[in-house]
Amino acid sequence: MGLIDFVKKLEPDKKKSPKLHTVYDGFFTFLYAPNSVTKEGVHIRDGMDLKRTMFMVVIALQLCYLFGTYNIGHQHFAALYPDLGLFSGFVPKLIYGLVQLLPIFVVANLVGLGIEFLYAAKKGHPIEEGFLVSGALIPLIMPPDVPLWMLAMSVAFAVIIGKEAFGGTGMNIFNIALLSRVFIFFAYPGEISGDAVWVSGITEIEKSLFTDYSWMHTMFNPLLEWMGTYSFVEGRPIVDSFTGATPLGLAAKGGWDAVTEVYSTTAMWWGTIPGSIGETSKPLILAGAALLVFIGIGSWRIMLSMFVGAMLTGMALNAWGATPFMEVPWLYQFYMGSFFFAMAFMATDPVTATATTKGKWIYGFFIGSVGMIIRVLNPAYPEGWMLAILFMNTFAPLIDHFVLESNISKRLKRTTSE
Amino acid sequence: MGSAFNVFLEAAFIENLVLAYFLGMCSYLAVSKSVKTAIGLGAAVIFVLGITMPINWLLNKFLLEPGTNIFGGMLGQEMDLTFLRFILFIAIIASMVQLVEMIIEKYSPSLYISLGIFLPLITVNCAILGGSLFMVSRDYNLVESVAFGLGGGFGWFLAIVAIAAIREKMLYSDVPPALRGLGMAFILTGLMGIAFMSLMGIDPAALANGGK
Repeated sequence: MGLIDFVKKLEPDKKKSPKLHTVYDGFFTFLYAPNSVTKEGVHIRDGMDLKRTMFMVVIALQLCYLFGTYNIGHQHFAALYPDLGLFSGFVPKLIYGLVQLLPIFVVANLVGLGIEFLYAAKKGHPIEEGFLVSGALIPLIMPPDVPLWMLAMSVAFAVIIGKEAFGGTGMNIFNIALLSRVFIFFAYPGEISGDAVWVSGITEIEKSLFTDYSWMHTMFNPLLEWMGTYSFVEGRPIVDSFTGATPLGLAAKGGWDAVTEVYSTTAMWWGTIPGSIGETSKPLILAGAALLVFIGIGSWRIMLSMFVGAMLTGMALNAWGATPFMEVPWLYQFYMGSFFFAMAFMATDPVTATATTKGKWIYGFFIGSVGMIIRVLNPAYPEGWMLAILFMNTFAPLIDHFVLESNISKRLKRTTSE
Repeated sequence: MGSAFNVFLEAAFIENLVLAYFLGMCSYLAVSKSVKTAIGLGAAVIFVLGITMPINWLLNKFLLEPGTNIFGGMLGQEMDLTFLRFILFIAIIASMVQLVEMIIEKYSPSLYISLGIFLPLITVNCAILGGSLFMVSRDYNLVESVAFGLGGGFGWFLAIVAIAAIREKMLYSDVPPALRGLGMAFILTGLMGIAFMSLMGIDPAALANGGK
């Protein structure tokens, strides 16, 4: 007896308990490709359905998750012991990162999937698996210390207003993950601004910084003491050389020189700097992006044109050069902030991006351009990609409309002239 | 000229009349069901705003404002006629809308029919009266007021065309029954407002002076 027979035995009766059946159906189709296929007409039969597509995106994110987990812990201990190497204290760093990340992941998915299940049961539909990707993306774009109730509020806002109101999976106009992030950003600006670093587990007591552990961290102390490594000791002061500004915050004040005083380019490239959980390491993000392009889920047109748009805008700003931030060489703009994460996983979202080929070039180009303008010219926000993508989400249907119209009129001319 | 260009950018993108001030909502919500009619109404708003702003500027300066109006010279004594501002502005706007209506009826009867009552209702479109009043309160000069009119109109045009395209796309969405139609349009407008907050805070005038 295979596993599938066992799982099928568990199936609740659809009429007696419809809610339970909805939940069962959701998990069953998550594990197995459904057996029911269309019998009539011409259809392509392929196991690569919506769930499989979404799962590929989740797989592409795994490298970011692994590194993000470790980096939370690494940044925390690097603030305590400034000369700490990347791999020394591996176990406590990993434990620290896991303890910090897991609650974020669980809360984001519990709230999102819970709402999804409720709506599916209420509408009498099978569960739409749309939250799979959003639920994997949202933890990665959150600061490691985000309060869990804020996270729950923002996820609920994004799923209810951003998705269910629009008619569920595949119908949303705005990117769900970005909506939740933007909700936190605008609703609780005091907590999450983005020009001060997000090193987890640090509180400010009378203008000096101390470590701040939860009971979940200290629970691991006996284990760590037994292994003879660093342990989580309450209230240890943070060294003086610890600075509290992100690369972008530094660049806005003093240009590229101010950035390189604190962060080295290799650290920024490999991502061993503080930041949102999953967006710091550029090579790992690019690996994920390559997987998406290879499978054909992410559009390379959007990625390329977004890069070109940001590059050209960066060059134009270099030529203008009115502030120190504008003088940062365009190439170095890519080292800072979350450009690559936005490019690989946010802009290419097939639901909210443009659908036409020509439209994709235009859409990507404008995201790159607008994002760079927001980052450099707008003093209100340190980083621009989140808002730039939402901004272009607004115009994506319009771009598609005009591309289609021009195609129609071109073809009309071709037929009438002959 | 530089300041006029800044005023244009600010009115069109940074302080969009619809998505930052929520002005001109009635026709924005009612005529945004198809892109084609939205383009027509948007163009009409650009035209009316662009033409009424300089006329209102001249009237405000030479008929209403004490110190600069012509009555001061004629009567030998200053007169403050600014209490007539609303009625005078609305009269100018109404007559310009009449002009637009006649032009559209003559050249594009189909657009005239699809716009219906909302074409004459541009008269009471808050974005247009609001534009004239912003012009007064912000002390724009003549060139700047033209730029503000065209920029504000363009921003309004952009917003209504974008929401029309989204609503066209959403025709096939399974929106919960309670939200169908206007409910969804309000939610959309709010989300678009969030998206437009991306540019809020940029100060073109300060950037032109080297970031100070």
